[in-house]
Amino acid sequence: VCHQTVSLVARHLEAGGLPTVIMGCAKDIVEYCGVPRFLFSDFPLGNAAGRPFDAESQALTLELALRVLEAAPAARTTVQSPLRWRADTAWKLDFSNLDRMTPEQIAERRREFDEIKAVAKAKREQA
Amino acid sequence: MPMAFAPEHDVPIPYMQRTRDYYLRLGFAPYRWAHFADVPFTPLARLLAESRLALITTAAPYQPGVGDQGPRAPYNAAAKFYTVYSDTTDRIPDVRIAHVGYDRVHTTAEDPNTWFPLAALQQAVKRGRLGGVTARFHGAPTNRSQRVTMEQDAPELLRRCREDGADAVLLVPN
Repeated sequence: VCHQTVSLVARHLEAGGLPTVIMGCAKDIVEYCGVPRFLFSDFPLGNAAGRPFDAESQALTLELALRVLEAAPAARTTVQSPLRWRADTAWKLDFSNLDRMTPEQIAERRREFDEIKAVAKAKREQA
Repeated sequence: MPMAFAPEHDVPIPYMQRTRDYYLRLGFAPYRWAHFADVPFTPLARLLAESRLALITTAAPYQPGVGDQGPRAPYNAAAKFYTVYSDTTDRIPDVRIAHVGYDRVHTTAEDPNTWFPLAALQQAVKRGRLGGVTARFHGAPTNRSQRVTMEQDAPELLRRCREDGADAVLLVPN
């Protein structure tokens, strides 16, 4: 929900008079919410600012976001970075893909999810 | 000769559909994602080279004692935070992403510059591409409750960005 959170925040800032740009990796979530400006990198979640240990890709990603910020003609402007994560695109098939999990793995995920939820709940109540 | 089309799966990952199917199979009700028809828009008031940019992140400050938050750490809900935080941009802070659902199969979270572009921003300022970075960056709690984000966190972030004299804001989710 990270991408949804910053999308909601960007909308609020923009309505309050501050121009915004989002750098992100989840195109559908950001565009479904509806934001003013978005630089999309078609990378695994966690790499919104560029490839690891690749200063050039990080500088280019920021530069593209800055160009979107200054040049977007209207709301819902999305620009996709030309950078590719790697030549083999099979990584896109893995994220939360049930077709690639056994029933045992799915049951294990359910147990993990319940555990995570319980920890988060305790932490939230403490906060 | 056949045209060399890209593979059919070579599109942005449909995260909403993937997670909907996934949680249904796990036995949960489908999540209703935020969706709006109207989108606000505010043009930049001055050139970027004269503008001060604020940075908003969903990364969390490293917290000793709440478990593994390093590279390859499993999802660590104990490292989450639930209120907006701010810290100085004078130095690169130790902010982590073990508390959120990034792609743990294809990403190791070893290089903070992939989720927190403060060093790149400082370079852009040095080059004169950007007027400046505000004195603080801000942390946005990622909350499944859209109401909390919209009614509490977003107004607080707007207040802090204004307080810091930001002309524009860069937001980076994970």
